[in-house]
Amino acid sequence: MSKHLLKFSVNGKDYAIIVQSHERLLDVLRDKLGLKGTKEGCSTGDCGICGVLMDGKLVNSCLILAIQARNKKIVTIEGIGSAEKLHPIQRAFMKWNATQCGYCIPAMILATKDLLERNPDPTIEDIRRATGGIICRCTGYLKIFEAVKTAASEMRSQDN
Amino acid sequence: MFVPENLVDLLQYLDSHQAGVHLIANGTDLINRIQRKQVTPKTLVDLTGLHEFRYVKREGGTIKIGALTTISELIESPVIDSRYDVFREVAMKFGGPSIINMATIGGNICSASSSEDLLPVLLVLNADVKVRSIHGERTIRVEDFVKGKRITDLKPNEIMVETSFRELEARSACSFEKVGMRNSLIIAFVNCAVYLRLAENKLCDEVRIAFNRVNGKIPQRARQTERVMKGKKLNEQSLSDTVTTLRNELKLTSDFRASEEYRLEVVCAIFKRTVGRCADRLAGEKILV
Repeated sequence: MSKHLLKFSVNGKDYAIIVQSHERLLDVLRDKLGLKGTKEGCSTGDCGICGVLMDGKLVNSCLILAIQARNKKIVTIEGIGSAEKLHPIQRAFMKWNATQCGYCIPAMILATKDLLERNPDPTIEDIRRATGGIICRCTGYLKIFEAVKTAASEMRSQDN
Repeated sequence: MFVPENLVDLLQYLDSHQAGVHLIANGTDLINRIQRKQVTPKTLVDLTGLHEFRYVKREGGTIKIGALTTISELIESPVIDSRYDVFREVAMKFGGPSIINMATIGGNICSASSSEDLLPVLLVLNADVKVRSIHGERTIRVEDFVKGKRITDLKPNEIMVETSFRELEARSACSFEKVGMRNSLIIAFVNCAVYLRLAENKLCDEVRIAFNRVNGKIPQRARQTERVMKGKKLNEQSLSDTVTTLRNELKLTSDFRASEEYRLEVVCAIFKRTVGRCADRLAGEKILV
């Protein structure tokens, strides 16, 4: 089992840590960096719950070996907004009560951020496609879609 | 795990360490197979640092795609214009955003599983695969590269670096369809790719049809059906005759995903839909219902 020096950035902070070959990005984020906002679901890439942004794109952290994140910029839910100043996407999810059990929400919010950065005015089809890789076990999709629409509109008005 | 600094490092390593070595790109297929103990690599060799193989370019009438290009990067490339919407059709049913942001073209080809979606498309485009070792490069037709389920022509000291195909000529189009359980992460029951070129008189001049998952092993061309279509005019009647040939030609099997009977009906339906979409693209309008 070989060890490697992993240098990467998480939520804007640079890290240099020792990781083992078999460690997944998900485990390093949760267990070594204490960022428990990223959740583990199926661990096989089917449910999308472990989604994080890597160089701005949504990826499944359960399928990425930690060392493969070297030199990358990772954003987890902890990097979105703060307790004092929530991100407009987080505010929109609260407004619509779009969280039921909440387990899928970190990934849903990151998927929304990825979508809105590329497409500030998404159609419902775009929203369904962007969040379609993430399974909400509570099946609360409709409120999630409404929240994404609201977030999009708020973020557009902020930009103007 | 071996993390090469550069391509030469990698190729030298592969030339001298061959037993139990597995190449890994973004892991969407391999990590699951390791977890299920379907493969037990002694050493993984990480390819994700090879940024020189992330490209989509047009050169001398050929479209070239680097092996480490992700499905997202492929469909976002300006080279892949609307004539190549076939790749967007693949991407839409390949997986959700997180999967297409990770899965690579090379990974999809080299996994050579019976349900890979790109293989039928590359087969009907008569694509080539370029592989490289420390001793040099060679180019193989995709058709010859995939030798069996999970078996390719890749030697232990080689990596795949590119796939390429000739640009679509005038009056030609290509389309893809797939049926599975969930758009965001489908393992296909069946999939189908069709390349169609019409002559000036609107008769089928060249047809290439490929299916994956129909025999549970490797993607295959439906050559008998292709011959029947050649020289025919495309209409409901000729398409219906073609489907009769297709029914006889394909060797279908049942497995835990779908029964043979169900697969046959689905194959015929998606074949018609795929040919129809090619024809629509060529006519700029619907010419088949």
